[in-house]
Amino acid sequence: MALLLYEGLKPIASVEVPVQMRILQEGHAEYFKVDPDGYRAYVREHKPHQMVSKLMTHKEAVEKLVHDGDYIAYDCNYFQRGPSSLIREVIRQKKRRLWICGKFTYVACALLVEGGCADRVDIGFIGFGPWISRAVREKKLTIYEYSNAIMTLRLKAGAMGLPFLPARSFGGTDGFERSGCKLVEDPYTKQPIILVPAINPDVAMIHVHQADEFGNARVFGTGIAHQECALASKRVIVSAEEIVSTDELRRDPSRTSIPHFAVDAVVHAPFGAYPGTVQGYYACDPPGVVEAMGAMYRGDFTEYLNKHVYSVGSHEEYLEKIVGAAKIAEIRRRETIREGYCI
Amino acid sequence: MSTPASNFNEREHVICQVARLVEEKYIYWVGGGGEPLSAALLAKQVHAPNLQYLTEDGVVGPEPLVPFDPLMTMIASRANYRALQWQTMNYAADVAHLGYVDYGILATLQVDRYGNVNSTVVGKYEGGEGRRFGGPGGADTIAALAWRTILVTDQQKRKFVDRNDFISSPGFLDGPGARERAGLPPGTGPWRVYTPWAMFGYDTDCQLMLQGISPFVTVDQVLEEMSFTPKIAPKLERLEVPTEEELMVLRTRIDVAGQVTDRGRWIENRDGKYVFADR
Repeated sequence: MALLLYEGLKPIASVEVPVQMRILQEGHAEYFKVDPDGYRAYVREHKPHQMVSKLMTHKEAVEKLVHDGDYIAYDCNYFQRGPSSLIREVIRQKKRRLWICGKFTYVACALLVEGGCADRVDIGFIGFGPWISRAVREKKLTIYEYSNAIMTLRLKAGAMGLPFLPARSFGGTDGFERSGCKLVEDPYTKQPIILVPAINPDVAMIHVHQADEFGNARVFGTGIAHQECALASKRVIVSAEEIVSTDELRRDPSRTSIPHFAVDAVVHAPFGAYPGTVQGYYACDPPGVVEAMGAMYRGDFTEYLNKHVYSVGSHEEYLEKIVGAAKIAEIRRRETIREGYCI
Repeated sequence: MSTPASNFNEREHVICQVARLVEEKYIYWVGGGGEPLSAALLAKQVHAPNLQYLTEDGVVGPEPLVPFDPLMTMIASRANYRALQWQTMNYAADVAHLGYVDYGILATLQVDRYGNVNSTVVGKYEGGEGRRFGGPGGADTIAALAWRTILVTDQQKRKFVDRNDFISSPGFLDGPGARERAGLPPGTGPWRVYTPWAMFGYDTDCQLMLQGISPFVTVDQVLEEMSFTPKIAPKLERLEVPTEEELMVLRTRIDVAGQVTDRGRWIENRDGKYVFADR
């Protein structure tokens, strides 16, 4: 607002002074704590500023970096360049009380909830089937309502070191009431605008095409919010189809999607997105996709989890015993498009 | 090739209606699957080869290689083939915030008199009593930011309700000015609702108005499948049935396995009249 400055009783100047931001409406749901200063301090203290090798196995990475009670983000989903092998490892290790960043998720969320690992989710989109209502009824799952792009914006705020970002969507919905968003008067235009709270997840899992041992990583093609997830999250596990040399990455730096200093573990995970696709590398396995979808629609994951998670001790054993060499050759062969994905 | 088909189903019919709206001079943000994406793909194959659309994974203007594997409509190489740009979700939202998205195309579980979208729950929200669905996904961003939004749903009483069980994505909310009060950009909002039986627009009071009708149903039949009575335009448009060419493309190139279209009743031309084949 304009404030007049006086000398005695005579106005001599007009200055703009800040006014308190007016909150017009608020969501009433619990939301993950917003703490940009805490995150900065964490980055200074704990993030790997020096280039050090972070190669480890699925088992080691999940043991070390995924803790019970964590807020967890994963990029993409169980069917499309998601960290499917890491999700299976989280379930295998019986992690508990996770709070899921459920942007663009699908079967992965169902598996984590039905596997007993997660009891809260911010959505986004969580797939279909009777399991959702049942989990809510049995108080095994609390859902907080957002939308996919509101969730990626929350991650972007977290990745920018900010407490919130404004958006011109989500207002007026019934989800808004059940979220941590606020409708405020924009101090610049005086129009109502939505604010979304930042998230700095405790841990993120991101599956990429290529990474070096330090965590510099490349994603080819479209994605959801891999860069935001990596920069916003305290602990980051990158699983990669291929481990490449740093020299290789330095040849084409504009293709580096994630810098090493954001990454805490690098897991070599060929066919890590199975039964999903990694665009340019391999196609999805339709029967494998249908098997997971079938479990979701039936709302019974026992058989699926027994076969695909508990029956094996590692991703390597999973590929050998459950997926098999013939299937691997087939999904690789069926991915005929290479344009844009490889160098 | 533009011969009217004599056998088709409801789903194929509604996809063709929406596909025919699509023009090369606009930019579309299309829901990543189901009828909305099928309509865009059909338009691109049949009459709008230079059609530009986005999906929520941040693909810009792909020339997709159809058909796709099941569910592989985004972050998949065939769906995103030969795009103009590959980006991520926040970028798609930025483009929509800027006003580049002329039309959004979405499917909905329910629609109410103000064109609000429900993809969250049918029945009671609290306590998991109702039947829970996946949530808004990317639809909220599209419905909030596209200049005009086209909805696709079924002509069923439980789907056309006075007030949605849940507003996942915004239509006109509760009337004129409500979107602006909720922080959404002015001048945006619902534009059409298509069902296999009918087409609706909106009156100046932001309420649904019946504007078109398929040749195999009557106005009374449409109104019977709504929980509220909409306004009715003085002159109703006749929704033309699919052509043989459209069906050929839809069935042999886009939805080969019938994942999208293999639902709903069949319609046939019997003695020059379109009627439900099961009657």
